[in-house]
Amino acid sequence: MIKKILVVVLCLTLVVGILSACQKTEDVSVYKLGVAAPITGNYAEYGKGFQVATQMAVDKINAAGGVNGKMLELVVMDSKGDAKEATEVARKFVENEEILAVVGDFSSTCSMAAAPIYTEAKMVQLSPTSSHPDFAGMSEYMFGVMGRQDAEGPFVAEYLAQKYTDANKMAIIYLNNDWGVSAHQNIVKRAEQIGLEITTIENFVDGEKDFTATLTKIRQTNPDTLCLVMFYNELVIIAKQIKQMGWDDLKVIALGPGISEQIIDLGGADVEGIATSTPFMVTEENKTAYDFAMEFETKAGFTLNVHSACAYDAVFMLSKAIGNLGKDVTREAIAGELSAMKDFVGVTGPIVFSAAGDVTRKYLIAQIVNSEWVQMTDYSYVK
Amino acid sequence: MYILEQLVNGLCQGSIYALMAIGYAVIYGVVGLVTFTYGEIIMMGSFSAFYYFIAFGDNLLFALVAGFITAALVGVIVHKVCYQRFLDAPRYISLICTIGMSMFLKNFATLVFGSEMKGMPTFFEGKFISLAGIRINYLQLMIMGIVILFSVGLTVFLKKTRIGMKLRAVSQDKKAAALVGINVKNTTLLGNCIGCGLGGVAGILLGVYYNSVLPTMGGMAGLKAFSAMVLGGLGSITGAAVGGVVIGVTENLGIAFASSGLRDVFAFALLVVVLIVRPQGLFGKKGN
Amino acid sequence: MIDKIKNFYTQHKTLVILGLIVMALILPLLIQKSSIMSIIVKMLFYVILASSLNIINGYSGQFNIGHAGFVLIGSYTLAILAQLNISVWILYPLAGVVTAILGLLIALPTLRLRGIYLALVTLGFSEILRLVALNWTSLTGGPMGIKGIPSPWLFGLQSTKPHIYYYIVLAFVIICLFTSYRVINSKVGRAWMSIREDDHAAMSLGVDIKKYKAINFMFGAFWAGVGGALMAPFYKFIDSTMFSLDEGFNILSMVIIGGQGTLIGPVVGSVVVNSITEIFRFADEARLLVYAILIISMMWIRPQGLAGTSKSVIANRGIGSKKTNIFTRIFDKKGVK
Repeated sequence: MIKKILVVVLCLTLVVGILSACQKTEDVSVYKLGVAAPITGNYAEYGKGFQVATQMAVDKINAAGGVNGKMLELVVMDSKGDAKEATEVARKFVENEEILAVVGDFSSTCSMAAAPIYTEAKMVQLSPTSSHPDFAGMSEYMFGVMGRQDAEGPFVAEYLAQKYTDANKMAIIYLNNDWGVSAHQNIVKRAEQIGLEITTIENFVDGEKDFTATLTKIRQTNPDTLCLVMFYNELVIIAKQIKQMGWDDLKVIALGPGISEQIIDLGGADVEGIATSTPFMVTEENKTAYDFAMEFETKAGFTLNVHSACAYDAVFMLSKAIGNLGKDVTREAIAGELSAMKDFVGVTGPIVFSAAGDVTRKYLIAQIVNSEWVQMTDYSYVK
Repeated sequence: MYILEQLVNGLCQGSIYALMAIGYAVIYGVVGLVTFTYGEIIMMGSFSAFYYFIAFGDNLLFALVAGFITAALVGVIVHKVCYQRFLDAPRYISLICTIGMSMFLKNFATLVFGSEMKGMPTFFEGKFISLAGIRINYLQLMIMGIVILFSVGLTVFLKKTRIGMKLRAVSQDKKAAALVGINVKNTTLLGNCIGCGLGGVAGILLGVYYNSVLPTMGGMAGLKAFSAMVLGGLGSITGAAVGGVVIGVTENLGIAFASSGLRDVFAFALLVVVLIVRPQGLFGKKGN
Repeated sequence: MIDKIKNFYTQHKTLVILGLIVMALILPLLIQKSSIMSIIVKMLFYVILASSLNIINGYSGQFNIGHAGFVLIGSYTLAILAQLNISVWILYPLAGVVTAILGLLIALPTLRLRGIYLALVTLGFSEILRLVALNWTSLTGGPMGIKGIPSPWLFGLQSTKPHIYYYIVLAFVIICLFTSYRVINSKVGRAWMSIREDDHAAMSLGVDIKKYKAINFMFGAFWAGVGGALMAPFYKFIDSTMFSLDEGFNILSMVIIGGQGTLIGPVVGSVVVNSITEIFRFADEARLLVYAILIISMMWIRPQGLAGTSKSVIANRGIGSKKTNIFTRIFDKKGVK
């Protein structure tokens, strides 16, 4: 009996599934944007951030009257952080004639697997976070908001490490993915030019928890500064383990986590004094960014990270491009409009695309002082 | 000196692996089935302690009890869904069930608890003892202590108590156990719950030691527990404990001499080599 | 119902197979959307991968849970050699051969391992291969992966489009199923099955267990390699994250949901699993939750797999009851131990 009921339930869910998959709402009074993000899977945290941030952006644009009198609407699809699913999502977006452009994907793997499909359809894929050095250059329809690593890496080596932190001997730990590799390579390159000694370079695979062995090994090389190229979660764990080792005279700088509040929430006293490069600051003076960060926290259930902030800006960029085009909005035209856009300023700072389609950003230095991120320099520090 | 320090690092990490492996060994011994849900049991234990700390303050001892109970309760569900029905069936069926269950628990945790990393309270803020220049902090000492306590306690429990003897009887031969009047069904369930409870405790230690609790933390942890158990020899509690420590030490020494990105390569290479040379594991009996 | 379908199939075998092939051939003409077509192509990839795993797990009773490692070797072999301007057509079988050699290398030292030990060794190898691919940057591109993998030309058409690539994969699927069918019904296949049922009995009847187990691993690895090689040009980009253990478990679920030890099982498994994940897209965050529940309920309702026969030992087991017979025990011994 139970068996039969189970079978019936299974069949019903399948039918409902198929029906709802076929459902279609045609509405010409809206502009639709696609969002490809890892809603499930190992990167679900960032996918959730994308979902919340992009929806907030759309709500804000619509509350202000929409674009060209039309409302914006999002179509979110889950790519699971899997390159194969990412290509399927890409094909679905491409086939849905109403969708004008796509925000996504989170990982470079997914974005790059989907890139040829979007390119063929002359559709913009504006990735908030993909920072593989080859991604944006893959075609004229690929754009990356995150910022080129050949700008941030040298900044970290020359200004954050050598000039601000007074580093003489620096060790590096980086996250072994496309972003971590290119980021740390750029640091090393500039460090060699400016005579900053790199004592050792260690990497780790995503999900690593125990860094005591790595840190013990690094300590043998006797650096005065440790540069962490990674996101907030591993950074906090490393900071704690440094303190547990009693390694108090080490200066820690970071590239990647930005001014994530989660570092302070999780790290407490152990992360005090960590300095990082960041393209933007969330302070009460910077009203838009501050309001956004507060609202994001209530909606997402965790504090703002740089990835979600970039996703937020990505939607505004697309809406501005559509707005500039006026009546003749086509997929192809959006790409041209994006690369021609010179005056966009989002919560993550000014964004101007290079010829390849990525951004060379300017950076600030922020440091944790009394459990709060404090801006230590302004953009003119680079001069 | 440097090697000694790395050895201590390895011992501490290895002792957490050991506790996880012991739990796994109990489950495997009694139920007789491979499970891929164990990592998620560890994760559930960790989350239960996380919420316990929020609700009732930072008392580690009670949190360990709460974690044990929660993990054991999840163990009951896993037992009902994945094992009980398939005890006599080919084992790959329950294996797929446990893979499904693991996926279920992981996604359930993501939906309910949130996908972002959560922190644990700090215990013994930075205190340490120095042994011949090597620092061992209180947290590491406490973790090793708890692990030894649980392993010894479990061994005594299995050897000296009636229930323990029943558990051993069931793990050696289910049919013979049934013949001498042991309720195999309930004993299996109990054994599974104890194993899961140990996993939950290991999960809490994992969460406290690394100060991070995540829905995805179970995957690698479960795999290491599984590897450590097989390395030690199937069903052997001592073997599992030694297997865990050996894997921990190998990984850390591997990092000391090669790249840290290759951590799991060392662990699995050791496993493969040992199994090829000694197919029954370090402490397993031949023909097992 | 499934049994009725089966009966119909056994009665009109040639007719059904011919019908299926004709349907498969005209399928791209009926489906306009390339998004659906690409999912179908993905199903075909997994038909090859699941079938190759089924050769190892289903027919010789060995237990491989690290199949993703073989797929990785196939994909990377094609991607790396394609950079040397070697025709992709040659690389498909070549990737299979390379993977088969690796399969032999893994099989040789592990021949005396069984059940859970073998399972763990395959799992370990799969993970080691993935980490080596991640760290050997000069060869595999490391975390940067390999992009711009060329796709072959078919009748003067660049085969990037799923509608065209479909035919290439379909051809390989047919060859894979056909050769599997021939091998299984040959002396080799019977030797595998005798090892699965009772290796001691097989040995006493003069079956060279080591040799046949090695052949079995090589044959399975070959098709896994071809399957992996087929995927690379379609997605144009590969990196090590595509070959995680989860991928291996995914293939394993397809084999078991479809029905282990049957030729058609992996085909059914691939189609069902891939459609389920696609259909439940609307469930958003809960998508994998629903998928997990479906896997578990499938094992409760039909543990022998969708295409497994209801007359099989497993189905008649009366799972949950205490009834066991001599077959059960024999079969059990060959399961995970």
